[in-house]
Amino acid sequence: MARYFLKRLLWMIPIILAVAVIVFTLMTFCPGDPAVIILGSTALESDLQAKRVELGLTDPYFVRLARYLSDTFIRFDLGSSWVTKVPILDSIKERLPRTIVLTIITALISFGIGIPLGVTAAVHQNKWQDHVSMVLALLGVSIPNFWLALLLVLLFSVKLKWLPVSGVGGLKYYILPALAGCSGAIAAMARQSRSSMLDVIRSDYITTARAKGVPERQVIQKHALKNAMIPIITVMGNQIGRMLGGVMILETIFSIPGMGTLIITGVNNRDYPVVQTGSIFLAIVFSLVMLVVDMAFAAVDPRIKAQYANSAKRKVKTNG
Amino acid sequence: MADTKKKTRNGQSEFAMIWKQLKKNKLAMAGLIIFLLELVLAFLAPLYIPYGITEMDPVAQRAAPSAAHWFGTDNLGRDIFSRICYGGKYSLTMGIITILLSNGVGIVIGAVAGYFGGWVDNLIMRICDVFQSMPGMLLNIVLCAVLGSGWFNTILALAIGNVPGSVRMLRASMLKQRGAEYVEACQSINCSTPRIIFSHLLPNSFSPMLVGMSMGMSMMMTMAASLSFIGLGIQPPIPDWGAMLSDARQFIRIAPHMIIFPGIAIAISVLALNLLGDGIRDAADPKLRR
Repeated sequence: MARYFLKRLLWMIPIILAVAVIVFTLMTFCPGDPAVIILGSTALESDLQAKRVELGLTDPYFVRLARYLSDTFIRFDLGSSWVTKVPILDSIKERLPRTIVLTIITALISFGIGIPLGVTAAVHQNKWQDHVSMVLALLGVSIPNFWLALLLVLLFSVKLKWLPVSGVGGLKYYILPALAGCSGAIAAMARQSRSSMLDVIRSDYITTARAKGVPERQVIQKHALKNAMIPIITVMGNQIGRMLGGVMILETIFSIPGMGTLIITGVNNRDYPVVQTGSIFLAIVFSLVMLVVDMAFAAVDPRIKAQYANSAKRKVKTNG
Repeated sequence: MADTKKKTRNGQSEFAMIWKQLKKNKLAMAGLIIFLLELVLAFLAPLYIPYGITEMDPVAQRAAPSAAHWFGTDNLGRDIFSRICYGGKYSLTMGIITILLSNGVGIVIGAVAGYFGGWVDNLIMRICDVFQSMPGMLLNIVLCAVLGSGWFNTILALAIGNVPGSVRMLRASMLKQRGAEYVEACQSINCSTPRIIFSHLLPNSFSPMLVGMSMGMSMMMTMAASLSFIGLGIQPPIPDWGAMLSDARQFIRIAPHMIIFPGIAIAISVLALNLLGDGIRDAADPKLRR
């Protein structure tokens, strides 16, 4: 297990390097001249040229790529924004926690509501509980979260004036973005939990558990849910990934200075270093989440754990 | 055995099977009809919309819905009903074309990876790993910036971002089939590799492909709307629904109707696609076939 974890962690290094190369290359092909965007379209050609030299834009692609990679991964110098001149490390230190907190709150609400909703639907299949949850879930996956965000702002901030429209502060600033972000995930979790519970609930061992007199509650929670967890965890992982992306959009709606607003303004300003470094950090967070999800598989399913152990053993044998 | 052979002899009969099953599903058919109706209405929009899409009514700016302007007007006094009907042709087609494009490419790459295995498979999968180690939205935002705004460029950006997913899906289904006896039979009678892949293996991967594509369409439509909403996808004055919402955002306090109607249009279309996608998934599931 520990071996596998370590292997995956080391495997992240080439992946993140490749992400850096891809984002760098894509930004290089971006239309629009950063010098013009920074100095304005009325700037003199000589000033523009001086700016391009200062930013290193006149060097060939491979020279710039090599310089960027060695700065970032060898000297750990992330540079500063071309537009605001703020060191990128400082912006990320300030913003990444907000994005992560918002994603975690959204994830907790989604899983906390979605899984019980799906399980209830499956336990009461074809009864009103099932129909109500599935209609809600269908609406949830169909309403785009940025539109839901606008509707929530309209209701809770503009009409009722209960919650702030935008910005950051206490926990109450996170309520609306988290609500907007979790609807789709609640729905996806509910649908997946229902279908994998339905697959499990008809198994022989559930009948056996009931026959030997295990209380129904325990049958569902201990016997059925645990076995239904694998596909649910897969969807959890996908949803956290989508949330990280969705949070980027929600941040712009609620003017939360997080990674999303950093990267989107960076893209609009052709602020290459900000976009590149921001993307690398988001990719690291994302890869770590996926790693945790894979570890969770092993935690709930002894068969998968055994697989990891076996593959490690086989490797040792072939090596020897 | 004879039974399954008959069903999956070629893509056509598999399709016919799924279609027969799908027709029985009322919700799925409702989704299909709603979506087709929307498409027809969107493409016929120039024939019936009461106002031009850039026609400004100077006395009715941000006017609430009324008999003259069914869905009200926007900040420049343009009729929202007309704009939504006309904009449908951009918003509705994006999901479909994105999925067709990305799956077209993904199928070829995935089939090659799954059939050959070994280093080819390894290389393709590692490239997919890299693309999939970024949140999808982030990749789409960066791709959108590179390709520039506009209807087709947005589709291209979304499609490129979606290719790794479809490669993975097809590869998985190929891996399942690769060891099958009929593949061995083909090899032994000296079928060429492209022939084995494209006329024998691919038709047998038809249902997972169709399910993946139908579930992906609604997601791509939402993604496209989100990109237009943050100002990267389709840009004004084209009345894409996401772009309309983006315009409306700053007037949320004074003209809430501006955000209501384009959003409803998106939600109804996505709902219709979801109903259809669910129906196709159930129809393609042999466990649910009766």
